This record gives sequence, structure tokens and C-alpha cells, in this order.
Amino acid sequence: MTQTDFIVLLPVLVLAGWALVLLLVDLFVPAGRKALTGWLALVGPAGAVLALTLWPNGGALTGFGGMLAADGFAVFLHLLFLGSAALIILLALTYLPRAGIERGEFYVLLLLTVSGMLLMAQAADLIVVFLALELLSIPLYILAGFARPRLSSEESAMKYFLLGAFASGFFVYGVALTYGAAGSTNLNAIVTAAQTGLVQGAAAAQALPVARSLLVAGAALILVGLGFKVAAVPFHMWTPDVYEGAPSVVTAFMSVGAKAGGFAALLRVFVTAFPGLAPQWASLLAILAALTMIVGNFAALRQGNIKRLLAYSSIAHAGYILMALPAAGSSFAAQSDYAVGSALFYLLAYALTTLGAWAVVMAVERQEGDGLALTDYAGLAARRPGLALAMALFMFSLTGLPPTAGFIAKFSLFRAAIDAGYLWLAIVGVLTSLVSAYYYLRVVVLMFMRPGAAQALARPTLDLAVGVTALATLLIGLLPGPLLDLAQRSVLTLTR
Amino acid sequence: MDSILQTNLLSLILFLPTAGAVLLLFFPRDQVGAIRWTAFLISLVPLGLSIYLWTQFDPAQPGYQFVESAPWFSVIGSNYSLGVDGISLPMVLLTTLLTPLAVLFSFSVSDKVKAYMILFLLLETGSLGVFLALDLLIFFVFYEVGLIPMYFLINIWGSANRQYASLKFILYTMTASLGLLLSTQIIGLTLGNFSIPNAAEFWPKLTGSFFGLTAEGLRVAAFWAFVVAFALKVPVWPLHTWLPDAHTEAPTAGSVILAGVLLKLGAYGFLRLVLPLYPVESAQFAPWLAFFALMAIVAGAYASFGQTDFKRLVAYSSINHMGFVVLGVAAAAATRATANAADGIIALNGAVLQMFTHGLSSAGMFLLVGVIYDRTHTRNLEEFGGLFPLAPVFGGILLFTSMGSLGLPGLAGFVSEFMVVRGAWPVFTVFTALAMLGLLMTGAYILKGIYKSIYGPLNQKWVGHHLEISTREVIAIAPLLVLMLVIGVWPAWLVGVINETITRFMAG
Amino acid sequence: MTIELVLFFLLAVVAIGAAVGMLLSKNAVHSALFLVLNFATVAFFFLFLGAPFIAMVQVTVYAGAIMVLFLFVIMLLGAEQLRQPSTVLPWQPPLTVFLAVVFVGAAWLYFANAGPGSLAAPPPFATAEAAGAFGSPQAVGQTLFQTYVLPFEITSFLLLIGMIGAVVLTRDDKKR
Repeated sequence: MTQTDFIVLLPVLVLAGWALVLLLVDLFVPAGRKALTGWLALVGPAGAVLALTLWPNGGALTGFGGMLAADGFAVFLHLLFLGSAALIILLALTYLPRAGIERGEFYVLLLLTVSGMLLMAQAADLIVVFLALELLSIPLYILAGFARPRLSSEESAMKYFLLGAFASGFFVYGVALTYGAAGSTNLNAIVTAAQTGLVQGAAAAQALPVARSLLVAGAALILVGLGFKVAAVPFHMWTPDVYEGAPSVVTAFMSVGAKAGGFAALLRVFVTAFPGLAPQWASLLAILAALTMIVGNFAALRQGNIKRLLAYSSIAHAGYILMALPAAGSSFAAQSDYAVGSALFYLLAYALTTLGAWAVVMAVERQEGDGLALTDYAGLAARRPGLALAMALFMFSLTGLPPTAGFIAKFSLFRAAIDAGYLWLAIVGVLTSLVSAYYYLRVVVLMFMRPGAAQALARPTLDLAVGVTALATLLIGLLPGPLLDLAQRSVLTLTR
Repeated sequence: MDSILQTNLLSLILFLPTAGAVLLLFFPRDQVGAIRWTAFLISLVPLGLSIYLWTQFDPAQPGYQFVESAPWFSVIGSNYSLGVDGISLPMVLLTTLLTPLAVLFSFSVSDKVKAYMILFLLLETGSLGVFLALDLLIFFVFYEVGLIPMYFLINIWGSANRQYASLKFILYTMTASLGLLLSTQIIGLTLGNFSIPNAAEFWPKLTGSFFGLTAEGLRVAAFWAFVVAFALKVPVWPLHTWLPDAHTEAPTAGSVILAGVLLKLGAYGFLRLVLPLYPVESAQFAPWLAFFALMAIVAGAYASFGQTDFKRLVAYSSINHMGFVVLGVAAAAATRATANAADGIIALNGAVLQMFTHGLSSAGMFLLVGVIYDRTHTRNLEEFGGLFPLAPVFGGILLFTSMGSLGLPGLAGFVSEFMVVRGAWPVFTVFTALAMLGLLMTGAYILKGIYKSIYGPLNQKWVGHHLEISTREVIAIAPLLVLMLVIGVWPAWLVGVINETITRFMAG
Repeated sequence: MTIELVLFFLLAVVAIGAAVGMLLSKNAVHSALFLVLNFATVAFFFLFLGAPFIAMVQVTVYAGAIMVLFLFVIMLLGAEQLRQPSTVLPWQPPLTVFLAVVFVGAAWLYFANAGPGSLAAPPPFATAEAAGAFGSPQAVGQTLFQTYVLPFEITSFLLLIGMIGAVVLTRDDKKR
């Protein structure tokens, strides 16, 4: 391990290492005071952010023989993952004791899944992508069942595990086919193989033609595997049940972290390794994106449970982000970079808004999974005007109304799609956004207009999380410039 | 101080209401009196500034004035840029004038005062932003931002059927603006930025092929997307059905802003974007526009006559009056840069003036309906009758405002409608002639409103009730009456500002 | 046809038969034993490919250690006998067969019609030494602990997480 390898891996090392320390420390924390473990867990993300500062500013590093990249793309996503993790820890501090499931392992597993996400953003080799995917997923399977022996939580964990394992199978099969065709699992080597048409690793004298059909089949299987993770139609079936059954704080992290992790891999793998195949996968992905937007939004219309509603909403948003992929497959570097930058920005806006919305859900949720029906939000504005206002802001942002972060993100994404020639996709996006306005605004209507006895918990950490996300949602909506620039610059150093 | 006034005057006007709203956030909610007065005083500041703006504005100077520009969304070429010309300036003045009046009138609101005042101030920023924007994206953002406070105003402080009305309002307008959003995207993509002056110069000249369409085809598609979005807001028949519901259910001050300012956003969209960006298409489709305007005038008037709900009657009258604005726009579209431009100039002057005067008269009418509803808790015309002796001051003001709305010579409405009709006559003779028949119906419904309320046999039910208008309400409505009279007899101060810009524009 | 090819096809039949037997067996212990047989035949394939070390690893790790664990768990849980197949989704088995046939057909068509090189032989080794070194303990060790040290270490984390998960999901809290 050279010094460069070390620096490239340092954020993950810090986080995973701290998780191990925490596992040990937790043994000595008495049962009633597990909040201490939670507060200590915050050191992990903070340390990882510090480790990020060691990365060269603007340039790109690779480590472990090209398996890991440390570029702007990874920095942007690292900040997203670490920030989300910190918010989730804040939320868990109040949620876990109330749900009666306060155990120190929660924080350990959370940090471990985050380290999987970090690896996902950095992985430049299909084997590392696969392992990062597992590192991301397995702790989440366990966390989904954290509210054991509540049946719905166990069911959630079981479903998530079985379908996740199934998806991993597809992914590995895809990796195997790709390796068979290209002769390497390294993303750069695969792109070279696709460009030169020669299998990598063979001696020059015995140059072998790349089995293009094998490469396409491999890419398709990888798409299926990652499609499960980001909950894209038709691989979305698990989402509502899993989201509903898992403890809310876990669901919140799933809907943000696991999705962003999946998209990190999708973007890096498809934009880096398979640009030569773009004609084959771009139109397919465009159709998937359209289907995902349509199914997610229309199914959300009928939901009466806030967790299921947000689950379908997360499917719908996966569809919006998927729009960036066909655009990113454009042969013009500028269009492609813009699309990737828009996807990153969308992920950020989506993460902030969704985390905020989940924080409100956790504030309203009562013990034992009670207080999750939409009708439990009736009259919230009268009792907790600040909380209701924040929730309204999140709903507006998810709909994509100005002046919120969601609007800028959607606008940017639609532009990327139109620019790359997918006008019809942008039209589908706009129309489904309109559909989404109906169910998002219904929450707002309930909170502000209907009489009711909605109650919500008030705790400093909860209020802090809601406040931070609400402020960020609004601020990014008003002054998107700096962050958008950052997202756009992040892409230029994506390994090519 | 002087330098900030010079360089950032428009930003000050635009964001002072928001700053005020943020300030109100820190007031304890039970300090109702302080909240009301603070909101009122804050809303007076933009009014003062826009009067100052008016005095500093030089009509003879071409182009936009007091321009401000800063990068906002630089990756895609969107700038925060503001500016005023002779079309937007009267609208800014109207908005900053109506907001304090609406706030003053709303002192009678006692439920959730803090939220109410905050929403009003935010609404003012939203509307002003549309009038001041020189960037398509900024324009769109403010266009949408105005929706949210209005939605809440109707939904929380509206009357019985407010749920339905507010939802209809927001769904209709949002649907229509989706096309606007896509077209804005396309313009931004093809031109590389969102600047309105830039788009007015290059977008009509665009040639080539984009996204599988020719530039011409793209323009026609985008033209209709713009027209639908703005026509719905104006509203033009047959897209008007949201308006009577929204108006009827909105709280009085909400109706005032809705009729006085928000409807103008649609008409302003026609003037600022549709005409300059689509000269060929708008000339080509001008007869259609004129037809829809005619339908709005006639159908609005007939529908208004058929109402028994006083507020609904006034609401439908807005459709009727705004029809004249669109008729003026259509006449201008047909004659721009032709030999008949002089007629178009008159019609367009009339249209802008009509936007202003309708803002005054409809605001006044809604205030008055609000006054009587406040006292009697009914808006049913059949339950009124002969109220003049019970409320002579109110009756007098109602009579005056109605006459202004009707278009009595000597009051504001007459000047503007006359100009539109005069300008449109040579261009769309048949349509204009039919529209004048609609004008007859205008007289009929206004007279019906007056007759059923203050004249006719006295409804004994109200004897002994205190129905008279209060001093505060008189103060709120007085500036409107004064302006209606002033414009009626001496429109030159306003037309002078409008005319210069329009003449330059109509030259092509 | 060489002797190797004959052996290959013989073993292939055994391998597939063992896999099918594992799936269809009603007794979990039998299933596990079928799996052992399958792993063992795969080990023979590695031998044919000139990779005796990998063949041995296959036998010790899969056929040996992992299968012992499997059997251990099966017996511990007393899950030797499978319950009657559930009839919740009676249309599922025929549909599965149908889709499997469709999939195989589609894959066949796809690769049969694909361009050159689609089913080409793997790249031959450049030298005899390279061929001899392939799959040797030294080569595997170097690949595993130098080139792929990062994936190797990540895998160790995965195992740790599996242990934590097992504890978290099975531990009885005192209050319950």
C-alpha cells in the first residue's frame, strides 16, 4: 500500500475504523445511555470529512492499481453521504429510544453502510463496485429488521435481503460476462477494450476481438442489479413494503443513501466504462426512466400511509435521476458532463429534502409505528406551525416548485435531457411532476386546512435536523449557483 | 444611501416585502396590533420607492432602465437581472399600491394574523418579481412563487368552498405553466442564456433544426405553450373556469390582489414575452386571439349578469374587462411593424392602461363586496336591496366605483376601453363591433349589481343593522377612487410613460 | 474427440444433474449432499484447466468447510424435511419453466447471431511458464494479497458485518 493508496482510502478507513472502535466502546456504555454511542458516532463522519481534505484539490488520484478513484465526483458524493449520515444519527438519537429499539449496534452498522457508500462513489473496478454494494446493503438488511420482533420489520428485512441478494446475483453475473468480454474488471480497461475492440490482458500478438454482444449482455445485467438498488421500475416491487416495515430512521437512510449509492455506481460504471455502448443502453434507460416516473407517481396517488407515499415518491425520483443517464451517454462531452452534474445536484437536493421530510415523519410518528397515516397530519399547522411549514417546504421541493432546491434540480435535469435530444422524456417528467403535485399538496392541505389533533414530538436534535434541511432546501433554491458549479466541476475529473 | 437607491432600487422594491415578512416571523403571534401595523408600514415603503422610481424614470430613453444584473445560475446562463420600461413601471406602481391597501383592509382579519400578513408580503414579492424580471428563468420562478401564498390565502382564510377552489386554482395554473417551463428550457438551450432582451432579439430569427423540429415548428409549439400559460392566468375564455371559484372563495384582500395584480401577470406575459418573442406567430394567430378575447368579453358579461352572488358577479366582470386587454394585444400583434401600426399603438396603449384601471376598479369592487359581506354575512344579491339609506357613504362609493368599472366617461375605465376599441376597430372590425355589444351587457350587469344592492325596495331584514363603511375601509379605498377620477380626466401622465415604450416596440 | 473432452462432458452431466437434484430433493440433507457433489465436479473442471491449487481450494473451502456448516445448521434447526410445497401461487411453477425456456432460447438466439468473437476461446497464455504459474499458490497469493488486497479487506468487513447482524437479529434482550 503506497502513500497514495492510503490517502485515497483514508475517508473509508476513518469511518470503518471508527465503527470498529465504537463497537468496542459500546460494550462499556450502560444500556440506558446508548445516546452516548450515538454522539460518539458523529465523530466518524466528521473525521472522514477531515480525511477528505487530504485529497488534492481539483485533481484526481487513483489508488490500488486503479481500483479506487479520488476525484471530484467522489468528493461531492462523500460530502452527501457523510452529511446524510450525520443527520440520520441526530434523528436516531430521538427516534430509537422512543421506538424502544435503542442499541449501540445501530450506529456501528450505520457507519459501516456509509463506508460502503463511500467506496461505491470511489470504485473504479467492477469487483470493488460489487463489494461496496454488499458493504452498503448488508448492514441495511440488518437495520431494516432492527425493530424485531415487530413482524413488519422482520418482513421488511427478509424481503429486502432476498431481493437484494437476487439483485446482487444479477450484478455479479453481469460483471462476469463483462470480464469475459473485456478481459478486465477495471472500468478504464473496459472502456479501452470497447474502444479498441481488443480484449485486455492478452498479449498483443494474440489480440482477440471483444465479444460485443457479451459486453452488452453484461452491461444489461449490471443495470438490472443496480436498478434494484435505486428502485427503478420494473425492479421496484420491494420498495413500498420494505420502506413501510423498516424503522423510519432506517427507511430515511435507505431512501437517501442506498439510492445515491446505486446512482453513484450507475453513473460511474455507465458513463466511464460503457460509453461506447451508449446507443444500445441510452434508449433503454430512457424508457426505464419514463416508466419509473409514471409508475412511481401514479402509484403514490393512492397511498394513505406517509411511509408508503414517500416510498413511491422515492421510486418516482429514481425515475427523474435516471433521466440523466441517457443524457450522460451523449457522445458530446459537454452534454454528458452536464447531465452527470445535474444528476449529482439532483441527488443532493433530493437527499436534503427527503431527509427533512422523514425527520418530520419521525416527529409525528408515535410509538409502535402509530401516527403514520396521512390523516394523522391533519391540523399539524395549528399545533406546530414551524414543523408544518418545514414539511410544506419539503413537499414543494419534492414537487419541484420554485423557489426550492427541488425546482432547480428538476430544471437542471430536464435541461440535460432536452439538450441530449430527449425532449419527450422531459415532457414525461414535467407531466408526472404535475401528477406528483396532487399527492404532495394533499399532505400540505391536511396539515394546514383540516382540523385535527396532530401531535408531534419536540426534541432539540429533531428540530435541529428539520431546521437544517429546511433552511438548506430553501437556500439552495434561492442561491443555487455555488453548489451547482461544484456539482458541475465534480464531473470533469470523473475517470475517463 | 443615494447610491444604493440609484443602483439597487429595483432589488430594494422587490425584496423589502420579503424582508418584512421575515421580520414578522419574529413577532409573537398574539401581538396582533403590532403585526398589522408593521405589515402595513412595511408595505408602504415599496410604494414610496416605486413613486420615487416613477419620478426618476425617463420615458424617452429607449430600452430598460434601472437595470441590475448578477450571475445566479451561471452554468446554464441564467442571470438575476431586473429592469423596468414603460410597460412594467405602471404594473409595479399598481402592485405596490394595492398591497398596502389590501393589508389595511385586512385589519379585520383576526384569525392567524401573522401568517396572513407574511403571505401577503411574500405575494407582493412574487408579483413584483414577474414585472421586474429581465430573465426568463427568474420570470418563471416568480411566476410560480406567487402561486403558493395565494393558494394558502384562499385555502386558509377563504369561505365555505375554499378547499375545492384553492386546489382548482393551483392545479390549473400549474398545469398551464408546465408548457411555459418546457418552452423556457428550449429557449434557454437554443440561445445559451435566458435573457429576455436577448431572446427578443434572436429567438424570432432562429433558424435551423432543433430536437428534430425546425426552428419554425419549435416556435409555433412554444408560442402556444406561452399563450396557454398566460391566457389561463388572464383568464381568456375558455380557460377561465378556475377564476370565479378562486375569487368567490378567497378572502376579500386576496380577491383584491388576485384581480388587481395576479390577473395582470398573464396579460403582462403577453406583452413582455409573447409579442416580442413571437412576432410572426402572434401576427399569424392574432385573429384567433381576438376571437378568444371577444368570447371572454361577451361570455364574461353574460355570465356576470346571470349571477346572484355579488362576489361572483364581480369575478365574472374581471373576465369581461380583461378580454379588452387581450383584444388590444391581438390588435397590436396583427399590426406590429405594418402600415397600420398606429392603430395597434392605440390599442396596446389602451390594453396597458386597461390593466392599470381594471386593477383599480376591480380592487375597489372587491373591497366593497367585502365590506358588505362583513356586515351581512351574505353575498346573495336577492337578500340585499335598498340599502342606500342605511349606508349612504358606502352606497356612494359603490356607485362611483361601479361607474368606473362600467366605463363611464370621465372615469378611468372609459379611457382605456375606448382606446382599445378605437385601436382594434380598423383591425378587427367585426370582432370589435361584437365586443361593443358585450359592453352593453357590461352596463347591464353593473346596473343589476347596484340595483339589487343599494336601490330597489328596502329589504326590511337589515333595518337596525349597522351597515355603514368604517373610516379605515374608506381610507383603504380612497386612493383607488382618486386615481380612477384622475386617470379619467387626465390620463396623460400615465399614457405618456406607456406610449413611448409601446411606440418604439410597435415600430418593430 | 480427446479423452479430456469425453471426461468433460461426462462431468458436465454429473454437475448439472447434481444441481438439479439439489433443487428437487425434498430432504435438506440430501440437497446439501448433492451440492457437495456439484462442488466436487467443479473442482475436477479446475483440474482439467491446469489449476490444481484452485481445485483443492474448491474442495476444502466449498465442499469441505462451507458444506459442513450448512449441514450443521440444517441439523441444528431440525429442518431436514421440507414442508409440503406451498400452493399460494399455483401458477408459479409452470410460469417459471416457461420463462426459463424463453430465456435460454433468447440467450441462444442472441449469442448465435452475435458478431465475431462472441464465443471465442479465452486468450491463450503467452508462454509455458505463464501457463504453469496460472492458479499456482504463489500466483493466487500474489493476486489476492497484492493486486486485490482492497477487495480482500472489504470482504473481511462483510464477514464482520454478517456476525454483528447475526447477533443483533437473534439476541434476546433482557426486557423481552
